Amino acid sequence: MKKIAFASLILGVGAIVACQAPASKAEQKAAKPAKKMSKEEKFRAALAKQDKYQKACSNEKQLVPEGIPLEQFKKDMLATIKYPKGGVVGDWKKGEKLFGDPKKGGKGKGNCYACHCGDPSIIACGNIGPSLRGYGKRGIDPKTTYQRIYNPWSIQPCSAMFRFGVHGILSPEQIAHVTAFLHDSNSPINK
Amino acid sequence: MKNKKFLVGLALVGGVAVGFSADVPTPDQVKQLKEMGILPSDVIVDEGNDYFHNLKGPNGKTCASCHGQDGAKLVGAYAKMPRYYKDIGKVADIDIRIKACMTKYMGFPNDKKFKKKFTKKYRVPLAGYVATLSNGMKINVTLDDPQEKELYEFGKKLWYQRVGGRDLSCAICHEIYAGYRIRLQKLGAPVRDKLYAHWPAYRFSKDKLWTMEDRIRGCYKSYFLYLGKKWHKKKDWVKKPPYYMKEIVALELFMKKAANGATIEVPGLLR
Repeated sequence: MKKIAFASLILGVGAIVACQAPASKAEQKAAKPAKKMSKEEKFRAALAKQDKYQKACSNEKQLVPEGIPLEQFKKDMLATIKYPKGGVVGDWKKGEKLFGDPKKGGKGKGNCYACHCGDPSIIACGNIGPSLRGYGKRGIDPKTTYQRIYNPWSIQPCSAMFRFGVHGILSPEQIAHVTAFLHDSNSPINK
Repeated sequence: MKNKKFLVGLALVGGVAVGFSADVPTPDQVKQLKEMGILPSDVIVDEGNDYFHNLKGPNGKTCASCHGQDGAKLVGAYAKMPRYYKDIGKVADIDIRIKACMTKYMGFPNDKKFKKKFTKKYRVPLAGYVATLSNGMKINVTLDDPQEKELYEFGKKLWYQRVGGRDLSCAICHEIYAGYRIRLQKLGAPVRDKLYAHWPAYRFSKDKLWTMEDRIRGCYKSYFLYLGKKWHKKKDWVKKPPYYMKEIVALELFMKKAANGATIEVPGLLR
């Protein structure tokens, strides 16, 4: 009986640890406000920073923009994309760490495993986004992959995926590394 | 030995919580755990019970002085919250209501120092205790007052508002993709499934009893809200909204109205 209980403890703790988002660590270090704004004012100002495109997606359908024609939306979003000097395909090993470092249980700056499965050795992966296993074999142009990560709304307006490049969560170089991780034939994604 | 029993019990609960994903345990499971005496949330509620009857304000009153022994006059109160209160002139959730009672009627100072102490020490146990007084009753939030109506609409707007570095809204995770997983964590649908009936809830992952205020603040943390041009500058990050903000109450009102008719069973038990 005790053995069973102990096993379930390990299982429970393991799963709980795996569920923690890496974001929290970074958030704890937030610095003081630039001006003398109260926390309330800061929060309201951040909510008010909603851009025109976020606003268009803030309807009950959530995934379909309202008020901006679809083609216009995509065109505007495509125009936000900046490309790195070294091309859209970087170093896949660096990309792996950003995508979710296997040594850290799949946690990484990009936090991709939160929504996508990829490397089969990472079991704690979400299913909000499609599985990316074998992504490099699907015949997708790496430039499209880069654009999808930099600004997913340039391809699928109001998608649940974050606009990593637009908000600066990942830099253009980092996005190129992640693109490489998805396309390189040596990457565990494509093994 | 007692300690050991408790640990084994906790382990069991951990197993149950994970085994059933993020779903709320069935009443039978909660009943079983209760019989085994291993619901940590009960300890916190007991603490609230103690404060309710024994914590005297500077003017000598306890909560029970006005609300009756065992909170007799507060039975069912939680089912109608958040609502407009004439004496404080605004819509209040359970956290704000208790704080207002303590400062207005028990004589605690309405200053920053007490606010901090209340938030950290008294808020959750008292909210947990007062909420349990409505156990078994049905949630019945009415929007009779114009302020309530206005706040409800505001809450609805916030629910669908996509904003921040992650372009998130409440609805993206908890409505559109509800039932899917973030890593191994299944996303609940508080509006569709009337989950408010189980809040305040004990969360094993945090080892804490949480009111809905805590929950909403936690959600906003994952929005990656920021000021300035890009998210990556830490000085521009905006973390959780402070407690007792209008925005939080608005979302609570929106979600609890959606849970009308659901039977209150608190404290809930979550991952």
